[in-house]
Formats: sequence, C-alpha cells, structure tokens
Amino acid sequence: MADVEMKPLDDKKEKKEEKTAAEEKKPVPLTPVAEIKGNVAFIERAVSTLEPRFTHRVLRSLAHLRKKLDDKVLRDAVQAIYTTDSPTKQSLLSWLPDAPTEQSMDIDPASTPSKQPQAEPIPEVDIYLRLLIIHYLLASSDTHAKATKLAHETVDKMQALNRRSMDPIAAKVWYAVERAYELGGELADARPLFLAAQRTAALRHDDETEASLINRILRSYLQYSLYDQADKLVSKTSFPAAAGNPQHARYHYYLGRIKAVQLNYTAAHTNLQQAIRRAPPAKTAPGFYQAVHKLSIVVELLMGDIPERSLFRHPVLEKALAGYFEIVKAVRNGSLSQFQNTLSTYAAQFEADKTYTLIVRLRQNVIKTGIRRLSLSYSRISLRDICVKLHLDSEEDAEYIVGKAIRDGVIEGRIVHEKGWMECGGQKSGYGPEVSDVFSRRITYCLELHNQSVKAMRYPLNAHRKELAAAEGAREREKELAKEIQEGGDLDDEGPDLGEGF
Amino acid sequence: MASPQLGQLYKELQQSFLSGNLQQTGVLLARLKIGLTEAGLLVPFGNPNPQDLVVARDILEVGAFWSIRTKDIPSFDRYFSQLLTFYNDYSSVLPPSPREFPLRGLNLVRLLTQNRIADFHTTLESLPLPADSLTANPYIAHPINLEQWLMEGSYSKVWNAREEAPTEEYKFFVDSLMGTIRNEIASCEEAAYDSLPLKDAATLLFFKSTSDLVTFAQQRGWQVDLGAEKIHFAKKSEEKVEIPKERLIAANLQYARELEQIV
Repeated sequence: MADVEMKPLDDKKEKKEEKTAAEEKKPVPLTPVAEIKGNVAFIERAVSTLEPRFTHRVLRSLAHLRKKLDDKVLRDAVQAIYTTDSPTKQSLLSWLPDAPTEQSMDIDPASTPSKQPQAEPIPEVDIYLRLLIIHYLLASSDTHAKATKLAHETVDKMQALNRRSMDPIAAKVWYAVERAYELGGELADARPLFLAAQRTAALRHDDETEASLINRILRSYLQYSLYDQADKLVSKTSFPAAAGNPQHARYHYYLGRIKAVQLNYTAAHTNLQQAIRRAPPAKTAPGFYQAVHKLSIVVELLMGDIPERSLFRHPVLEKALAGYFEIVKAVRNGSLSQFQNTLSTYAAQFEADKTYTLIVRLRQNVIKTGIRRLSLSYSRISLRDICVKLHLDSEEDAEYIVGKAIRDGVIEGRIVHEKGWMECGGQKSGYGPEVSDVFSRRITYCLELHNQSVKAMRYPLNAHRKELAAAEGAREREKELAKEIQEGGDLDDEGPDLGEGF
Repeated sequence: MASPQLGQLYKELQQSFLSGNLQQTGVLLARLKIGLTEAGLLVPFGNPNPQDLVVARDILEVGAFWSIRTKDIPSFDRYFSQLLTFYNDYSSVLPPSPREFPLRGLNLVRLLTQNRIADFHTTLESLPLPADSLTANPYIAHPINLEQWLMEGSYSKVWNAREEAPTEEYKFFVDSLMGTIRNEIASCEEAAYDSLPLKDAATLLFFKSTSDLVTFAQQRGWQVDLGAEKIHFAKKSEEKVEIPKERLIAANLQYARELEQIV
C-alpha cells in the first residue's frame, strides 16, 4: 500500500515542479545554462527512478534549446555540472573552441556557488551534453568535420556503455549522426554504420534506438532513390511498436513513399493518413506536415479521389501547396492542357519535393475524369467531340481511350463504331457489395483507432492494487445487494398474497 | 588488365560482337565470365583497379546486348543486375558508359512487356537523373512514352512508335509488346462494342489480313459472321451479383469481438 500512496504524492510534486518551472519561464525566460542544468537533474532522476518519462521531457525541449546554444553557454553548463576536474569534463571541453580569457573570467564566479563536492555525474548526462555540443557544432558549417568526429566518438561510447536508461538519448544522438553526415554530403557512407547499429539495437531490445535507426536508414535509401532496398528493409525488419509517435510518423511517411512508387496507392494512403495523425502539431513541425500532405494529396488524386478544399486553406499548408492546388483543379476539370501547363510551371517545385514522377502518372487520371464528366453530361457524343474536348491527338486515340475506360469500369457505355459515337449507359446504383466494403473499411478504421488509443494510454505504477481493493468492496456491496434482493424478493412474493388478502 | 589471357579474350569478344557473330560471342562470353570471376571482377568488392572495372563493365554490357539479340530475356536480366553494381556503386570511380542509358531503357521496356508496371515505376524512380529531365534522354523517354500511352489507352501511338526505337535492340521487344497491346485492345473491344465490322476490327487490332484476324477471333472465342462481315462479341450476360456471405459473416463476427473488448 505504501507504494500506492507514494505515487500520487510524487505526481503532485512533479506537477508542482512543472508549474513552478512554467511560472518561472513565463516571466523571465530561463537562461540556457539554467535550463541545461535543470535538464541534467531530470535525466538523473529518470535514471534513478527508472522512469524514462523525464528523459523524454528533456529531449522534447531539445529543439528550442538548440537555437540558444553558443560556446559560452555550453562551456558554462559543462563547468557547472562537472564541478570536479575529471577526464570526462576535459574531453567535453576539448570539443569546444578555447574561450578568450576575459570571458572565462566572467564565468568563473557564476559557476562557483555549487561548492559541495559532488560525485561524478552519470554517463547519461555526459552523452546529453555531447548531444548538445554536436548540435551546436552542426549549426555552423566550419565545424561539421568536428561534429562528425564527435558524433563517432559518442556513438562508440554509447555502445560500450550499453545502458538501457540511455536509449532515448541514444536515439537522438543517431539523429545527430545522420545530420552530420548529411551536411557533409556523404549520407550514403553512413549507411553501413546505421545498419550495424540497427542490428545491435534490435538484439538489445533497444526500441527507441532501433526505431530511430530504421528511419535513418530508410531516409538514406529514399534520398538516393533506392526504393528496392528500402522495400526489402521494411519487409525484413519489424518496426518496434513501443517507439514514440514522431518516429512512427516518420516511418509511416517513408512507407507511404515506397508504396506510392510501387503503385500501391491504397496502402500508401493508409500509411500517409497514419503519418498525418501521428505527426506533431502543424505549427511545431511545419516541414514534415507539409511534406506528408504534399505526398498524400498526390496519392489521393492517383486513387481517383479529390482532396478536400479546406486542406488548401490551412495556414501552414496554403503557400506550400499552391502548385498542388493547381494540379488538383486540373484533374478535377479533366483538362489535359491545364494539367500540362501546371506541370511545366511547377516542375522545379515538384522535382524538389520528389513528387514529379508521381504527378506525371496523373495524366491518365485527368483523361479518365474528363471522360467521366462527358459521360455524365451527354447521353450520346461523337468521338470527334470527345477528341476536341479532351485535347486528344486523334479520333483513333479517342476510340481506344474510351474503350479502355469502359473496360476499366470508369464509365458505363458502348461505342457504336459505324456511327462514330459513344453511347452512355445509366449510372450504377449506389447499393451493392462495394457499399459494404466501404462501410467495413470505415468500421475497421474506427476500431483500429480505438485500439491504438487504448495502447497509447499510460497507467501509473501499482494503481491496479487500489482498483483491486475497490473491486473487493464492490463485491462486498454486491453480496449485500444480493442479500437485500433476496429479502426484497420475499417481500415481493408476499405482495400478491397481500393483495389477495385485501 | 588482370591477366593477359583475359585481355586477349576481351579483344576477340569485341571483334565478334561487332561483326555480329552471335554464336561465337556467346562462347567467348562464357569463358570471359569465368575469367572475371577468377579475377574477382564479376561482383567487384574492395577497391579494384578502375581500368579493370571498365573492362568488366564492357564485357557485361556486351553480354546484355547479346542476350537481347539472342532473345534470352532471363540472361539479360542477370547481366543487367550485375551491371547495376557498376552503374550505381562505382559511378564515382568509373567514367560513365555510353551504353548505360540504352541498357537502362531496354530494361524499362522489358518490364513493360512483362506488364510489371510497379517494377517499372520503381526502376524509373531510381534512375540517376532528375525527374523533369527524364524525357530529354531519348533512351529513357521512349519507354516512358510507351508506358503513358499504354496506361491512357492510346494504342495507336504505341503502334506507331515501334519504328522510332532509339537503338536496334528495342525492336526485339516490339513483337511481344504488340502481343500485349493486341490483347489489351481485344479486351477493351469486348467490353465496349456489341459488334464490329470485320474490316474495322482488323484496323483496330492492327491486323493486315482478315485471316489473321479470324484466327485471333477464334482464340478469343468471338463469333465471326463471315456473311455479314461482322464480329459479334460474346455478350457476357449480366453477371449475377453474388453476395459475399462468408466475408460478411466473418466481418460481423470480427466487429462483435472488437465491441466486446471495448464494452
């Protein structure tokens, strides 16, 4: 029972701390050094309580902390955290550029207050600081080589230490490694390193790192358009379910990409939907949000659907999707010339987004939509007119194209060759097995969503004991109730007798 | 060169390939492949001498062309996958080969004729060219256009393009491609027409003589009315829509189970 009582108290304390932290932040933003120090405390707590939650919290602040880093801040932080002179401190400091003497003079008084001798901080802290330093080094282009070197050293150190409590930080370090290689323009060279590390991570059940690494590798494959290899990697590995949402979002995005290239649009669409849903809010990660939406719009068009218009009014997406909006309009109108014009206008953008080849595939959809519109508005139309309206090259082509559309079930109709026209049949009724298919797809989706949310719920430790006690009580009450009912039942039984008696 | 003997064979191979002696080329290729394997160049690893690699690549390229000329598609497939190592992984070391894009294009056409559209697109994506300049390369533009026309149904364009092949070897695929599109057109006609005059059907299917058409029609089970000179397509009677009972039951049971978990 002691545990059960301890927990809520702890929680409250945390909340209070959180609140105070938040309050502190609001009036005067914490100095980066103080923030790093606070984070280090959290990491220590995470390791001592075996609760990775704190580490995650620390890592969440990484993005905005990164912008405030400079060598003074980092040096101060290292000085403040490592009070005693130790090899770790020396090695950390050696990565930072030497400070001009006057500056370090300013720092010294600030960092002296913590005088009480401390034990050497845990290795996680060391790695965290290294991560910060790598990010700092990556920020300017002169120090890339240095960053890569440090990243390597850090990775070696992490793997030698092999501590589970380090996993979340390790996953972030891998990200930094990738970044270092990418900025150096040699992403392909990092692949063997990632693959080896991924194997190790899988063997150690290091889910965070494994997830991060799988994404790293996929990204590197896709960067070089090696879809075959990427597909094989996906089929040979299983993405750890315990990985965080951002990793899942990335993974789904990459899957969506691969599937879309392989013409498997339905699967691609499902994956992209997942990616959108799991992605961080649009405002915090606009880049990812836009990238996923771009791909998802194209895939939706390829499936024959038209994306919702409201999507294009989203403040984050509006500008980025301008070209795609034009494409959607062209497909909707079934106008081949408009489509070609848009394609050539925005070619550079689509090429940069790596959606160009996908959009080129839309050509046939444009034609199909055009034919469908014609078949809806005319009951009989000559092939010549089709040819003119859809800007096709020849009547002969029109005949083949219409024939194919009829066979593929795009329209219902016949061609009367002798007269040179197309007769359009009635519309399909809206009922049939397809309806149940759509319905069942929707239900499956809802159930899936429910199951996912159940899985995503977190429970405090040992809380079930309380429930057990409560259940015990409930059982007692039930017994009493049953007794009462029994007694009450006797009364009821007597009821009619009484009635008769009266 | 790794060994003088290989160099000698290589020269012979070039000569016999240029003179168009298919049989001798085949024999030489087999011997060269053994030689390459012994020299560790067939599947190169480590850092071999770039000049040796160029020779190995040349030999494999000749092999790929030779396979097409002898109409041995599986062999082409093997040569091409071996070549991919040279094209992709050693692209920074080796000078680009003038035969690279013809071969890549041929591979694309091969995928098209085998109706492997998904593979076709995957391969297209992994070409080392920016996507909007793909059509500028004649060897790649050809298969891209073919695919587009096939997909939208402009079969006559495909038919007309068979003479515009960028290299001789593309024509080896034309025949099987024509077979593919003929079947495509036939299946479209079945769906789109009630009946067709014989002459028009022949033009639509690109047959030169009526007798070819009649044999083709018999293969597909069409009724040919020679008197009226018409083809009647066996109308598929309105297919009864079967209610997929088992699937529905399975789905419903699944929902019940899930709901039970929720409640």
